[in-house]
This record gives sequence, C-alpha cells and structure tokens, in this order.
Amino acid sequence: MANVTFRNVHKAFGTYVALENLDLDIRDGEFVALLGPSGCGKSTTLRMLAGLDFPTRGEILIGDRVVNDLAPGKRDIAMVFQSYALYPHMTVGENIGYPLKKRGIKGRAREEAVQKAAALLQLEPLLDRKPKQLSGGQQQRVALGRALVREPQVFLLDEPLSNLDAKLRSYMRAELIELHRRLGKTMVYVTHDQLEAMTMASRIAVMHAGLVQQFDTPDAIYNRPANRFVAGFIGTPPMNQIEGAVDGGDFVVAGHRIPIDRTAFVDSLRDGPAVLGVRPEAITIATGEGLPATVRLAENTGHETIVTLELPDHSRIAARVEAARRLDVGHNVALRFDPAAIHLFEATENGARLNRDETPASVIPMRSK
Amino acid sequence: MKLLRPVLLNVITWALVLLISFPLIWMIVTSIKPQTELFRIPPTWLPETVTFEHYWRLLSETSFLLYFRNSVVLATTTTLFVVALGTLGAYSLVRFTYRGRETLAMLVLFTYLLPSVVLIIPLYLMMVSLGLSNTLFSLILAHTTFALPYALWLLRSFMEGIPEDLENAALVDGASRMGAFRDVIFPQLLPGIISTALFTFILSWNEYLYALVLVNSEAVAPLTTGVMSMLISAFNIEWSLLMAASVMMSIPLIVVFAFLQSYLTSGFGAGGVKG
Amino acid sequence: MTAIATNIPKSATPPLERAYARLGVLLIAPTILVFSLVIVYPLLAAIYLSVFSIYTPTLQGGFVGADNYIELLTGKAFWNSLKVTLIWTVGTLTLQIVAGVGLALLLHQNIWFRSLARSLVLFPYFLSTVVAVLVWKWLFNDLYGALNQGLMQLGIIDMPLDWLGSMPNAMIGVILVGAWKFFPFVVIAVLARLQTIPENLYEAARIDGAGPIARFFDVTLPQLRSVLTVIILLRAIWDFKEFDLLYLLTGGGPVTSTQTLSLLVYQEAFGLNQMGQAAAYSVGMMLVMLVFMVLYIRQTKEKNA
Repeated sequence: MANVTFRNVHKAFGTYVALENLDLDIRDGEFVALLGPSGCGKSTTLRMLAGLDFPTRGEILIGDRVVNDLAPGKRDIAMVFQSYALYPHMTVGENIGYPLKKRGIKGRAREEAVQKAAALLQLEPLLDRKPKQLSGGQQQRVALGRALVREPQVFLLDEPLSNLDAKLRSYMRAELIELHRRLGKTMVYVTHDQLEAMTMASRIAVMHAGLVQQFDTPDAIYNRPANRFVAGFIGTPPMNQIEGAVDGGDFVVAGHRIPIDRTAFVDSLRDGPAVLGVRPEAITIATGEGLPATVRLAENTGHETIVTLELPDHSRIAARVEAARRLDVGHNVALRFDPAAIHLFEATENGARLNRDETPASVIPMRSK
Repeated sequence: MKLLRPVLLNVITWALVLLISFPLIWMIVTSIKPQTELFRIPPTWLPETVTFEHYWRLLSETSFLLYFRNSVVLATTTTLFVVALGTLGAYSLVRFTYRGRETLAMLVLFTYLLPSVVLIIPLYLMMVSLGLSNTLFSLILAHTTFALPYALWLLRSFMEGIPEDLENAALVDGASRMGAFRDVIFPQLLPGIISTALFTFILSWNEYLYALVLVNSEAVAPLTTGVMSMLISAFNIEWSLLMAASVMMSIPLIVVFAFLQSYLTSGFGAGGVKG
Repeated sequence: MTAIATNIPKSATPPLERAYARLGVLLIAPTILVFSLVIVYPLLAAIYLSVFSIYTPTLQGGFVGADNYIELLTGKAFWNSLKVTLIWTVGTLTLQIVAGVGLALLLHQNIWFRSLARSLVLFPYFLSTVVAVLVWKWLFNDLYGALNQGLMQLGIIDMPLDWLGSMPNAMIGVILVGAWKFFPFVVIAVLARLQTIPENLYEAARIDGAGPIARFFDVTLPQLRSVLTVIILLRAIWDFKEFDLLYLLTGGGPVTSTQTLSLLVYQEAFGLNQMGQAAAYSVGMMLVMLVFMVLYIRQTKEKNA
C-alpha cells in the first residue's frame, strides 16, 4: 500500500509562509498532479515528500508510515528532477544502476535490473555513454530509468518535461501515461503546465499562494472550479469572469440583465455584487437580443477563432467560435450565454463558487486538444 | 591598409609581451653566462659562451637542495592539510544550514584579506612558547593563516557551481549525505580541488615573511629565505649563481604553466574576481 | 487530534534536519578549530599585546596602557609610513590597472601564438617574490645592470642611475616592480570578463556608427565596470599590506622613504625589538585597511544577492 498523506502540513522559510495547513490524500496507484504558478508551493510540497525539505509542522505519510524523520533514501520513493540531475561522471548504465548500488544490489542482479529498465525505455544502445553525449530527450529517459529501476512505491516527478521541445513533450506525455498504466504505482507530478496536468493526472491539486485551491478530477476542475483562482487558471483562454450583481432572477452587468436559474445555485445566494463565470465556448455571438459587446480582436488559429469582446463597462472577455466565422473588428454584437454553463462566484478577490454542486456537471464536454 | 592593421597589432602586442618577459629572459641568460662575461660593459645581450657550471655549483656546493626539499615538504603538507579541511568546510558552508553559517562565511572572507604582519607577532610568541620555533611544522601552521581562508573561499565558489539537484538525486537514490559527497560531489568538485591545490601550493612555495620570522636555522629554511641568505652572505654577489637558483626555484611553476594552466585560470574565475 | 497537536511543538526542528545541521557543524569544526588557533587567537592577542611594552629578545615587559597608541598618534613613524603606503599603493595600483586593461585588450585580439603570449604575460604573477626581486636587483644593478646599460645604449641617460639607493628612484623602482609583478592579475580578470561581452553589442554599436574608440568607451568600459571595481578593491587591499616585495627590494630605505606600514610593524618588532609598539602599529594598520575590507565585502555580498 502506498497512498500518500499530508496531514496539516505547514512550511515556513523564516517569516515567509510557503505552505499552510496542507491536507492531501493521494490514493495508492493514483497519478496526481500538483498544478500551479511558480511560487505556489507545489515544488516545496514535493521536496518535503522526498525528504529534501522539512515541514515546519504536520505529518507526511507514505503508506501508513510517518516519514517526517526518514532520510530520502529510506522512503521508498524515486524522483525525476526538472534538470534530470544525471551524474555527469557516470555512464548511463552506472546512472541507472546507482540506486541499486546504494541498496547493496550487486553483480548480475544489478545488471539485469539495469538492462530491464533500459529495455523499457529503449536505452540499451546508450548504456556506455556519458550524459553529456545524449540529447535532451535521451537524458530525460535516463532520468526516468534511474527512477524506475528500483521499483519504488511512489514516483515523484518535478516538471520532468519542461526542458523538452513541444513535439518531444507530447510524445513523452503519452509515454508517461503508458508507464503509469503499466507500473500501477503512485505518481506525484509537479507542473505549471495545465495541459500536462489535465491529460495525465487522475486527480489534480491546484495550488496557489501556499494553499490547495481544489483537489479533484480534471473534469471537475474544469467544469466545477472551486473558486475564481481555479476558474481563471484552467483553460486557454481561461473562464471569463464578469463583475456585476445578482438581482432576483437576473445577473446585472452594466445595466444589462442576463437571466439566471436561481435553483442552480446555493440557497445562500443573495442579491448583491457577484462575479459571473462563463467559459469562452459557452458564449454565442449573435445579433439582436443579448448582452451588447464590441468585437476588438479575432485570432484565427486554424481550427477555431478566439474573439476578444469589449463589454459596455469596458471589461474584455474571450469567446471561442468556429474558424470559418468572420467577425469584423469594431462590429457591435449581442452575446448569449448557455444558461447551463453559467457559474457564479462571490465578489471577493478569490471568491468561492456558488453553484449547487449536486446539480449534474454542466453539459459542456471537456475540451481536448 | 586592411592587411597592415593586424600585422601592426601583432607587432605591438608581441613587443610588449617580450618587454614584460625580458626580466625572465635575462634571468635565464645570466644563469648560463660564464662569470667573466657577466661584468662586461656593455653587456652581451646573448651569451657568447653557454655554460651550466652555475647550476652544477648550486647543486653541489650550496644548500640549495636542502632548501628545495624543505620547500617541497612545506608546500605539499600545507596544501594537503588546507585542501582537505577546506573541501569539507566548503561543503558545510554551501550545502548545510545551521546558525552562524553566514557569519562564518564573512569571517573567512575577512581573514582572506587580513595582513600577515598583524598575526606575525602573536604567532611568533605562540611558536616560541610551544617550543615550535625553527621547525617546518611551525611554518605549516603559519601558512595555514593565509592558505586556509584562501582555499575555503575558492572551494566555496567551486562548490556553489555544482547543481544542488545532483546531491538531492543521490539522496533520493539512497545515499547518505557523506555518501552523496563521495559519489557525486567530490568527482564534480575535483577540477576545483586541483585548481585550489595548485594555487595553495604556489602561495606556500613563494611565502617569505613567516619563514623570515619563524625560522632562522638553515636546516629547516625553505627556498625563499634560503636563497635570499645566499645573496646576503656572499661577499661578492654571484649573480649567475643567484639567477640559476631563481630558475631552479621556478621549476614547479614552469611545470604547472606547461601542463595545468587551465586549472589556474579557472581558479581565478572562482576567486571572487568574476565581475 | 488534540493529542497530536500537543505532541508536535510548533517550532521543533525535525530530527532529520537537526541531524543534517549537526553534520554540517561537524564538517566545519576542524576549520573553526584551526581558524581559532592560528587566526582568531593571534588577532586578539595582537590587540592585547598592543597595550604592553615588550622587549622582543627577552619577551619581558609591562602594561603601559594607551602609551603605544599615543606614540602612534603623536609620533612621526606611523604617519610617515601611512603616507609611503598610500603613495606606493596608488602608484603601483594605477600602473597595474592601466597596463592590465591595456594588455588584456590586446591579448583579447586574435594575435599570433595567443596562448603563448598569455602565458608569458601571466608568469610574473605566479613567480616567487624572492625570484622577482633577485632578477630586478640584478637588472637595477648600477654598474652592470641591464636597465642602466640598455638605457645608456638607447641614449636616454648618459650616466648610470642609482635605482634603489636614492629617492625618488627607489619609490619609482618598487612601484615599477610591483606593477610588473601584480598586473597579470588584472589581465586575467579582465580577459575573463571580456570573453563574456556579447558580440552583438559591438555589432549594434558599429551599426550606430561607433568607431573603435567610441566602442571601447561606450561598450567595453561599461561592461568592465563591475569587474574593475572588484579588482581595484582587492588589489588595493593586497598592495596596501604587501611586505615581501618592498622588504626585499629596498628594506624600506633609503632610511624610511619606502617603509610601508607592513615594514614598519616588522622593523619595530624585530629590528627595534619593541613588540608592544609594533602590535599597536599593526592594529592601527588594520583599522585603516578595514575601510577597504568593508567596501570589498559589501561588494561581494551585493554580487551574491
């Protein structure tokens, strides 16, 4: 059993608080991504799990063992570093064999294990090379090989793909998913790239300012963002957030009324200031009835067009339309929102979502690229 | 015009280079001139007769070999002692956190700049009271005062150049801190250690003041004070002999320059002069 | 829950972290021990000795309070040496910087046998001061020295000069030898920096119509500024405390006209056998140097921040 638990973990560097009251339950065999902008605490979380940093208080468990006081090498984990951290003076074979050597595995047993890991990652012809003689992608695979040669309980991956070019990155994403499926081991994956998190993880912990904002499946993160930060972080472009006020059965923005279904929201929803969230793909651009807006920019990416629209209060939102659609800049249009895809948030800086969560997830299919 | 400029540049540069090297060339030229040719006016810019008699006399009739041996023992021991301490100390200063670490690093830098004459009086008293005066050991201890801060400072820079994740990877792979040091950090630090060792050796080899104050017996005198005493003791200064001694004294340096120069330049970068 | 909360004190250091810190202290411990023995203790002892009057050969003497410092402040010796030290430092340092930057610029160009030229230029720096002094004493020799003979052959002088025995020649002599011995330090440091100046800065300047001289002042010099600050501070400190070169070349003479502070301390302690007074001079000298040291340490800290 190798579930990973953070129990009320707190981390401060001097007076700077890096993590506050972190509670995470990662199940055995799960692929969890820690996602967030730089400085959000995701790397600190991973480094504490690895034993390279120490929590100020709280407990970290791997399986049912509290590992706080265990040296990194005794935690039965393996880690892939962003820089790969391959030992420059050792050959590929020695690099992969190093964790075994440190565990006293010798001779044929070690050789076979190295061979097996090398075969899994197609590294056999490179075993005698030094890391310097390898391409970035090959180095990346050696780092993976060194991690999996020992068959640890938990894999920790710290932005492992960020140094690869776009093409190799998408190839390695597929490789990692396949690897996880085959090994069935718990994986904790730190990234700032939402695409990696959304495509690979079974659950994502979105982190910001030392706090876990939401810990849920990619689908839930996308369709039921817990608060304004998650809404504004996930999706390209992210969910639009329109400031206004709830007034009876309507959401009022700059004097225009957008009808909402009050039963879809929590009972505590009161009239007054709120933020309406709507994804770009849930906006229909038409003429006549609707929220008036002016087209400011239309970016055609080939398979779709992202339209930037200016609302009467001069705030801007983005809408996604099919590529063939022609929209002239400066043109006045009317916007309609899919009523089932309307989110409401508290009007505070990182306001919580006010939708009733037992309502079925919105019907918008998760976007894939 | 296009062709002339590089030629001019070369001529000027090489003229300056030769001017700068002239004292050294003159040292070699003098050392192979016979005594009679030395005091000719005007001097012969190139020797008319080449002789190695001064070198032979230096080795057979003076204590030069004894001084040389003393210097080798002194510089080698100082280097080994200081580099061993410095390597562990630099590892501690760069890769560990404990109270007072920053203050300690600043203290190292401060002592690196400290003038020797401030320490020489108490050190002299200390060696006398410990009964260590006139021993090579007292010189080794004294050389530590400038060599250790220097080596620590240099090694600290080299250590900072080793990515922290390398050590972290070794820890995760099952190594202890010292295991990671042995398996990963030490091999990476080795060029820096060699560079530091060369600098320390040269510093110790060339040191004069401590030897002047702490040692006045010929048996333990290193080259610096030993060769200078040959200048002072001789009634008639034998310049050829002294120049031969100077050449011989510079041999370790010439060896370093011929084979290990890249280590010297890399040490320079680490020694706190990268802008 | 409450049991857990009370079991984990708020700011307890985790055992693993504590073990690491212990190991770190253990690794630095030998260094601290040696440091205390050969640097910290002598440094404090020097300050302690400075309020005593001690006769060097017998090491006997008594407490004299501030007498040594009063002598330092009111006597002529310290101030004369400070003046000499400043003249020597400023003179040799200026030459070192000018020659060092100039040669670095030349050696940065694509000249024939560049690495050989570089080695030849660097060599004096690594040479023992004893060797340098012997060679220069021979060059300076009034009757047979190559310098006088060469200058006479070239017709620059018609009588041999007394280089080290009279003023101001002696000061010029030591400044010259000092510059020759130490300017390679500037060359190496500046060369290293020159190699990191991006070529496109020069291209941009050329496109903007800058000639070679304008390129030096507008591109090269600003890029060298930070490294030059460090070099000047470091070399100023080292030149200020230089002992071997001056002691061996002139012994501080004629009389005391090249007697820098380092030489004064040595002379007082081992020539005049006044150890307490010498200790007071050395403390005074250190206080003067502290200004440079603080500047240098601040510069280093800034760079690291």
